[in-house]
Amino acid sequence: MFQYEKKLQYPVKIKNPNPKLAQVIISQFGGPDGELAASMRYFSQRYGMPLPELKGLLTDIATEELSHLEMVGAIVYQLTRNLTIDEIKKSGFDKYFVDHTTGIYPVAASGTPFTAAYLQSKGDVITDLHEDLAAEQKARTTYDNILRLVDDPDVRDPIKFLRQREVVHYQRFGEGLQLVTDKLDKKNFYAFNPSFDKHCMKNYKNRMK
Amino acid sequence: MDKCKLMREISAVSFAAWELHLYLDTHPCDENALEMHRKYSERAKELIEEYEECFGPLTHKSGSGYEWVKDPWPWEYKECDC
Repeated sequence: MFQYEKKLQYPVKIKNPNPKLAQVIISQFGGPDGELAASMRYFSQRYGMPLPELKGLLTDIATEELSHLEMVGAIVYQLTRNLTIDEIKKSGFDKYFVDHTTGIYPVAASGTPFTAAYLQSKGDVITDLHEDLAAEQKARTTYDNILRLVDDPDVRDPIKFLRQREVVHYQRFGEGLQLVTDKLDKKNFYAFNPSFDKHCMKNYKNRMK
Repeated sequence: MDKCKLMREISAVSFAAWELHLYLDTHPCDENALEMHRKYSERAKELIEEYEECFGPLTHKSGSGYEWVKDPWPWEYKECDC
């Protein structure tokens, strides 16, 4: 189960609203490599994990991604507070405003609404972990692109924190992949699906006791 | 300690504990990391108790009603010097 802690994982304090930046950063809320997709991906995939370490890892990273979703929401929320109609028109925020006012909606910077098609849950631990490694790198690249577009240090600071978390998660998923492959036939990791063909895991019988 | 400073301290210590927690998912037998995790978690618990006593609950277990619902919520902009 889940319980709320009334605090952000890392502080978000943005003095100056800027709706132009908000339109770009919202991609990490509801875009293809955003935090919502990340969290739903790991929560969905964890059921197919054949090792206890991986059940823990996917549960924990999925949980952390939800706190990142909250941080990105806070950034967008603070960047769009107290706007005048003139600012909305000049910044190009009018295209978002017409559908959502200043509500926070899961959407990509392009305007495409969030879809579960951004993620996969394949029921094969090797396939899923490779997707997870790629997902962390794609999110890292997106944060790098955001940092190229943003000068305001109040915005850069939490974005840099989020970028760094992608790097750490990538490292942990890499270690997770190593844990699985250590238990498989080294000559052919892909002969079986370890989530489905459970007998292919070394010491399978011992693990079931 | 003032509210902002205390919250920053809680964030830093809780983050250290969380980072070690993730590391321990893939290194569950690392004694050194287990010990560090225990230390940071204990310190976080003490700081959270201090914060909640002065500034209100951070989880539903430590308070309900007006104390829980009162502003600001974490995503809101708060003016302060820190």
